[in-house]
Amino acid sequence: MRFPYDPENFPLGKGPMVMLILFLISCLFIFAPADETEKELEFWVFAPTHYEEYQARLPIYNTSHPDVNVQLINFGGTMHDKLLTALLSDFGAPDIVEVEINSIGRFLKGDIDEVGFVDLRPRLESEGWLDQLVISRFTPWSYGDKIFGIPHDLHPVVLLYRDDLFKAADVEMTEIETWDDFIIAAKKATRDLDGDGEIDQYAIVLDNKTESDYMNLLLQRGGGFFDAQGNVIIDSEIAIQTLEFFTSLFNEHKIATPVYGTWHGDPSNYAAMQDGKILSILAPDWYVGLLQSQVPQMSGKWKAISMPAWEIGGRRTTTRGGTMIGITKQCENPDLAWELLKFTYFDRASLINRYETTLIIPPLKAAWDAEALKQPLEYLGGQPLGELFIELAPELPPRYQNPYWSEAADLLNDAIFAAVTQKQTPRQALTELAEKVRSIIAKDQERWGIVATNEN
Amino acid sequence: MKTKRDRYTFWNQQQKFAPYLFIAPFFILFAIFMVYPLISSLIMGFYEMRGFKSRIFVGFENFTDLFQDPIFWKSLLNTTYFALGTLLLQLPIALFLAILLNAKFVKGKNFLRLAFFTPVLVAGVFVAIIFNLIYDQRAGLINNEFLLFGKEIGWLSNPRYVMLAVILTGVWQWAGFNMIFFLAGLQGIRQELYEAAAVDGANWWQSFIHITLPSLRPVIAFVVVVSMIGSFQLFDLPYILTNGGEPADAGTTIVMYLYKNGFQFMRLGYAATIGWVLFIIIAIISIAQLKLLGIFREE
Repeated sequence: MRFPYDPENFPLGKGPMVMLILFLISCLFIFAPADETEKELEFWVFAPTHYEEYQARLPIYNTSHPDVNVQLINFGGTMHDKLLTALLSDFGAPDIVEVEINSIGRFLKGDIDEVGFVDLRPRLESEGWLDQLVISRFTPWSYGDKIFGIPHDLHPVVLLYRDDLFKAADVEMTEIETWDDFIIAAKKATRDLDGDGEIDQYAIVLDNKTESDYMNLLLQRGGGFFDAQGNVIIDSEIAIQTLEFFTSLFNEHKIATPVYGTWHGDPSNYAAMQDGKILSILAPDWYVGLLQSQVPQMSGKWKAISMPAWEIGGRRTTTRGGTMIGITKQCENPDLAWELLKFTYFDRASLINRYETTLIIPPLKAAWDAEALKQPLEYLGGQPLGELFIELAPELPPRYQNPYWSEAADLLNDAIFAAVTQKQTPRQALTELAEKVRSIIAKDQERWGIVATNEN
Repeated sequence: MKTKRDRYTFWNQQQKFAPYLFIAPFFILFAIFMVYPLISSLIMGFYEMRGFKSRIFVGFENFTDLFQDPIFWKSLLNTTYFALGTLLLQLPIALFLAILLNAKFVKGKNFLRLAFFTPVLVAGVFVAIIFNLIYDQRAGLINNEFLLFGKEIGWLSNPRYVMLAVILTGVWQWAGFNMIFFLAGLQGIRQELYEAAAVDGANWWQSFIHITLPSLRPVIAFVVVVSMIGSFQLFDLPYILTNGGEPADAGTTIVMYLYKNGFQFMRLGYAATIGWVLFIIIAIISIAQLKLLGIFREE
């Protein structure tokens, strides 16, 4: 059979003809009418572990919602920038999105009614979810009277310690109740092992370059950078005293070492742990999960106790990190998005599975009685870590969110480093910092013609 | 109904406009993706965002604020330090490597050229992660194995050494890349010049000063200008190596500060101002360098 048209006669030759045919075929696919019966939901995440969890559970969701096509996309660390661009341009945002706790502040800038997320308070209240979750965990995702996200986690913090090495220093860590007790014990355990005048083994590792560990202590004590009304309170007496205590662990008591590498999850820090240079660390649930997956060779060497309290009977935990899930205002079908959101965050089986894979304690109280959470954890020498976390969960301090958190945190990092390295006293560093942040806020309010009142 | 004459007129017109149509895609794309954003960002420098939906005219306030902003000056100083490190350390090393790999006595030149060039193929993120391990204060390769300075140096924890660590990483990553340009320049120099100089009794150093360097002038100008522009646009390497510029903003560069303001603090007007000030700085430095290197001089 002969081809009815000689390709050589096509203007410009055979190649452009093939390209034209391919272009026309592609157009058929691109412009073909979409299947109207199928509903689409785009769901963005930034954490690989979350992506894996949801990807594995989507088939279960699809059995009850066969007509919904969920596009789950993991953009990694760049996701927040992409979301910001999409919300600014009013185009291209997903229906559902997860946002990290240190990144949410920037999305709350401007008029509260113009925030790019749907206020979930009416849905949470009408369906009675607020009472079923740990209420303090809504504070990072709330601003004004609106709730823009549902907490993925609680992230209570415990003191993770090397039981073998503390015992070798004749310290029984389970007897520790307060930070004063810890300092006494830590001084015994911080040692120069080879007699060269240099300390080889520090009782605790703390991050002196960022706000992370200082905020752990400050939140535990009931302080914070901003209060519930949005006021800057980082120069309060409680904040100054906490920074004085924090710096004393390095400079006066000499029981703390700065984090090895850039943060607690740095390979250098893991190496120092394995070498026995670090004996304890303030660890939220996700960090224990991270250690378990990244440093499996240390299985059985760690134990956990509640954080030492500031006074006997005081709060024995704090909270570190967090993620929310929210529905963007660009979502065309918020009811459908709400259904998927509930499946992802409120489904008991899903939350138990999350604990089993990542050790993250769910904020849904109904999941706390699950057997999986009571199981002994081999990584901690058989200690039932889930039980300890659940015991601490009701004590979690609030962490009030603010649109200026990113700027504040950036400047707080510098203030902490200046105090620890003794360039400034804790009082000077925090007073100066508070003035800077207040002036940034005041300038914006002046520009926007806002009379300085409490925003919450 | 069109007559034959009309068709000819159309053909003539089409021939007249065809060249413009052919070049139109470039100009349309250039206008949309270059001219419009540039003008838009310049205008943005005179505004500040109020959240996501509205912005407020602030006149020159962003510019006056910028010049009083200590973190901006610190980031400018850090970036200039890196640029000087590139100019005074990286480029001489690149030239030295090029001369070495152009010499007749060196064996395995192709392998060595590839080896020196390879670091530039590694993504900046991986380079930062690798050097993070190398610079670690207590467990890192430099402090732990080499003990070069007889004591632990906080390459990434002591503000004094942070930019030096970034410069040294930049040398490792980019010296081989710049070496290729110098090598191409060296191979383009006529051998007769060296032979004539040798006949006149010139030694190696005199040949280098009076033949090699002047002949390499256009290549040096290109490498210096491109390296300086790249240095002032430095972002990913220190961002990862120093965890966003820590400690105490010792690793913050101008572009990193621009990014923080635009994307983390949602201050797009201020970020646009930083971008334009950076543009002016780069333009002045580039023109000054080209003038100093005699590129505008008529031969």
